[in-house]
Amino acid sequence: MYGGEFDGAAAFSGGGFMPSQATQTTDPFPSALSKHRDKQTLIPLTVKQINKALLSNDDKVNFLIDGVDVNNVKLVGMVLNKAERVTDVSFVLYDGTGRIDCNRWVHEAVDTKEMEAILEGMYVRVHGQLKGFQGKKQLVVFGIKPVTDFDEITHHFVECIYVHSYNTKLMKQQPSSSNQTHMPGSAVTTQTYQTAPSNQFTGQYVANGLQGIEKMVLDYLHLPASIARDSGVHQEELATQLGIPLDKIQATLNCLVDEGLVYNSVDDFHFKSAANG
Amino acid sequence: MDTSNPAVLVNGDLLRSYVGRRVRTVVQVVRPDAGGLTGRSTDEKQIVVKGQMPAPLTTFVEVIGVADSAQSIHAEIVTNFGDTFDTSNFNQLCQLANGDFRHLFI
Repeated sequence: MYGGEFDGAAAFSGGGFMPSQATQTTDPFPSALSKHRDKQTLIPLTVKQINKALLSNDDKVNFLIDGVDVNNVKLVGMVLNKAERVTDVSFVLYDGTGRIDCNRWVHEAVDTKEMEAILEGMYVRVHGQLKGFQGKKQLVVFGIKPVTDFDEITHHFVECIYVHSYNTKLMKQQPSSSNQTHMPGSAVTTQTYQTAPSNQFTGQYVANGLQGIEKMVLDYLHLPASIARDSGVHQEELATQLGIPLDKIQATLNCLVDEGLVYNSVDDFHFKSAANG
Repeated sequence: MDTSNPAVLVNGDLLRSYVGRRVRTVVQVVRPDAGGLTGRSTDEKQIVVKGQMPAPLTTFVEVIGVADSAQSIHAEIVTNFGDTFDTSNFNQLCQLANGDFRHLFI
């Protein structure tokens, strides 16, 4: 059981940096880590997409686009209205779909040098953090470089289309956990979605009775309320809520743990889905 | 933040659907002429561009402006795009940006 727990968490939280077994004493670690990492992905966007972004209710800094938490973004466009001040440089980025106000703080000589190379009317690739300030969306830029190969502009828009399709497809597959989606940043995360429980939603678990219970249990564990609980869901709660005898729930959970889809959290009776950290 | 006046990504074929509206395209310069240039669009159509041009012109230029007619654009911004540019990629992007993914752009 214990071995299954570690494997499940390591295999399904998207690879990359994981806490060692020694630090993984309590459940919140992997979930906090994976959420943190999701927020740090750079998402390619058009200004039009940003303009339509929803401000999420719980945290005023975050935006929701295609069901994904958006913090750091990359944009490609033209620099207009560049204005240099003592501590920062402001400009408007125009990418053909719209204009967005950008701000670049200049603390060090390297920042100043980077901004000096940026001229009015120049095409640039910008990496920055999206912020809502007094009801206006603006970009706090932390990286900017001139576009020298203009195919990059085409590629940027194609990438926007790809990421949009990827995230909206994911939203349709997993409506209950869309906020937790991984970005297609690496082969590892993409693979996660091929092997992890998204397969459970494709309809192959319909005919067989036991497999039907597996799906019910997984669906219950994927409910936002279940995901939000750091301690996981108790097996008796699953039995009561789903109206299935406890021994069948236990057999199903054992099966799901063996498959690495579910893991024990605080003790042998609480369970969490591996797909959601 | 302003998305009220987007420039639609177009090729020669799509240009005719946006007469009177702001468009954005990349053309290969065929010849500069008085008050502009004549270019070839990424789908091999002839486009006349009027307005102020940068000097010297590179092989490919991007034009942002208002579509005067089905074959001409009144340019507001003309940017040199260098001597190599993948026209078939851009042409397909125009089709995507006017098709299923229109809502990401306009």
